Amino acid sequence: MTGASASQKDYKTVIPGDVFALWVDRLGEQYTLTGPVGGGVTARFEDISRFAQMDLDYQSTMLPPGKRYLFEPAEEILSYDISGESNIPGNNRETGGKQQKISVNLPGLPAGRRALIGVHPCDVNAILYLDKVFLRGPYIDPFYTARRENTFIIALNCKSVTDLCFCHLLGAGPYLKARAGYDMLLTDMGRGKGFLVELVSEKARELFDIFSSGRPPEEKDLSAMREAEASLLKGFKKNLDMAGLQNALLSRPDHHALTETSDSRCLSCSNCVMVCPTCFCHNVREETGLSLSRGGKSRIKKIRRWDACQDISFAKVHGGNFRAKRHARLRQFVFHKLDYEGQLGTKGTVGCGRCIRWCPTGIDLTEIAMAMMK
Amino acid sequence: MIETEGNAKGASVPVKAIIRGVKNEAPGVRTFLIEKSGPPAQPPCLPAARPGQFNMLGYPGVGEAPISFSVLHPEKTTEGRNQKNQKNLFGHTVRAAGRVTGFLSGFVEGDEVFLRGPFGRGWPLEEARGKHLLLLTGGLGLAPLKPVIEMAPTLGASGVTLLHGAREPRDIIFKTELARWKSEGAIEIELTVDNPEDNPDKGQKQQPKIHSGLITELIRPLRIDPSETVAFICGPEIMMRFAARELLIKGMAGSGIYVSVERRMSCGTGHCGHCQIGPWFTCKDGPVFSYTQLKGLPDVIL
Ligand SMILES: Cc1cc2nc3c(=O)[nH]c(=O)nc-3n(C[C@H](O)[C@H](O)[C@H](O)COP(=O)(O)OP(=O)(O)OC[C@H]3O[C@@H](n4cnc5c(N)ncnc54)[C@H](O)[C@@H]3O)c2cc1C
Ligand code: SF4
Ligand code: FES
Repeated sequence: MTGASASQKDYKTVIPGDVFALWVDRLGEQYTLTGPVGGGVTARFEDISRFAQMDLDYQSTMLPPGKRYLFEPAEEILSYDISGESNIPGNNRETGGKQQKISVNLPGLPAGRRALIGVHPCDVNAILYLDKVFLRGPYIDPFYTARRENTFIIALNCKSVTDLCFCHLLGAGPYLKARAGYDMLLTDMGRGKGFLVELVSEKARELFDIFSSGRPPEEKDLSAMREAEASLLKGFKKNLDMAGLQNALLSRPDHHALTETSDSRCLSCSNCVMVCPTCFCHNVREETGLSLSRGGKSRIKKIRRWDACQDISFAKVHGGNFRAKRHARLRQFVFHKLDYEGQLGTKGTVGCGRCIRWCPTGIDLTEIAMAMMK
Repeated sequence: MIETEGNAKGASVPVKAIIRGVKNEAPGVRTFLIEKSGPPAQPPCLPAARPGQFNMLGYPGVGEAPISFSVLHPEKTTEGRNQKNQKNLFGHTVRAAGRVTGFLSGFVEGDEVFLRGPFGRGWPLEEARGKHLLLLTGGLGLAPLKPVIEMAPTLGASGVTLLHGAREPRDIIFKTELARWKSEGAIEIELTVDNPEDNPDKGQKQQPKIHSGLITELIRPLRIDPSETVAFICGPEIMMRFAARELLIKGMAGSGIYVSVERRMSCGTGHCGHCQIGPWFTCKDGPVFSYTQLKGLPDVIL
């Protein structure tokens, strides 16, 4: 760290776009670069080789970058190797106590380094939410922890809002307020004016070696940012008293707005859950190799996969199903997003609007909540 | 550096254990005495396990099922008394219900089993100090309370009463233990069955005596001082519903009534989300909850 940059008290600098792009390209020597390609609301995060491939004017992606890259859709978490005399438990007396030789193997932890570039504020907040699930006790998840450790997050304040966004109701956007838990924050200062770059983490201060080639932001830059944010805030279409929902939805569990919407329109397709950046549910299954021959070797893998509370078997137990009814499953989704703040100390939604956008029948949790509160 | 908080090791990695004893309890129900192998520091961190907690018990390729501890005091069981290595011994009582439990039920002495745990919060034993402890159980629900009964003299409770219901006389588990507890006199015991007809021991002198009818009919005549009583209930959710309601009618507060509930579980560690009830995770916030914690939440039968 040079003396000049260290004296910049907020680690903020304004950098010309092309200079910043060169730095990102250079970052690609150490990190896999992953950023938004294809624009609008159907952009997607992909591995790229150059800054220029990204569309930083994108509005949304179907899969959220945090969940997609920090919590893999399918992942082997453990395997068993079975060798020796194949013996099924319960036959022990007949075989004179011979046992299968079973070893438990842990896969190596993910090691590749990735830079996630252009993550919108809602999606950064969703990562902070997933942190609460996987990084805080009583147990922490080693796979998520390793990926989180190896991922460099470059956030990007939004430049436009869509009709389905409601991050403003949750303080999750359109400008990022969190000042920890990610590495850098970019604000596009507009045509030809470059980026205002904020170095949030120690790691960013280490890696961003062109800090002093920028200029310190002036008051006119900061006021331009405030104006841009204020004008974005005027563009939101959705309004809902978020704070008033806690325990209020819960007190109307069978409200017709919920039951009628689900019974007439919900397909239980689980799209809403799959595209949700905070939905963390998964299932662990064991997959057996095909060579269970006597004396042969075989491998059984434990695979965890994203799962959804909309699936009819999600809450099934032996002899019953706690959410056999479709509306009970949709209620679980809506309440988990909008009511159960007690679970992790914050609402389960960041207002990205994906569940609304990707629902094939256009079910909108904010409309359900609004009707329930009438 | 990413900040984490909690136990990183072992929770998702099963350890091997050996079946040291098998006891038939009732049709389809067996108790397995299990010895943990492997280094002492490796989870499950027994004997740290507390009554009401559970292990994920399984076998490679078959799967896992959450099963409560039914033996935490091996020295108090006939099978465990003569075993060496008592501090690594514990037990589970399993009903062959489906795929995983059906497989587990076939285990014989010497077999290997794989497990993770202990998970969850146990019974709030400290709440029983100075109070009358009422244990209401149905069917296999007696299993997670067996360790509580076995440590009853150490709880400092002013008295302990067990009311246990089963479908038929032959479904009553822990018959030898029930007879012994009765004769030791440390706790009061009443048993009831829904259907008294089908009694294999008919004609023999029952010890203890078995009533007929639902457990609620045993609760109704009880005289309790509501503020001086704490209740632990475990059984089918519908049974817990009616049992808890009887106690509320007697003036007990929901905060003094504890239930142990069953939900679908996949991880046991608070990550997979399957076991959620309202804002709670059954695996880490439960499976023992106060009635107040669960009352009014969707998808709860209480
Ligand atoms: C905290 C707790 C403590 C418990 N304590 C005990 C105890 O002490 N003793 C006892 O006997 N029982 C206990 N149980 C109940 C026991 O866990 C269940 O009986 C057991 O999970 C049944 O599993 P199974 O595979 O044998 O039954 P199944 O009926 O085969 O399966 C049970 C559940 O798993 C699902 N499932 C299984 N395989 C698949 C698959 N391939 N795909 C999709 N879904 C699948 C089923 O849909 C069903 O929901 C406890 C449960 C809990 C939650
Ligand atoms: S995306 Fe829409 S139709 Fe599909 S499960 Fe969700 S709410 Fe139901
Ligand atoms: S069993 Fe997975 S969260 Fe409780």
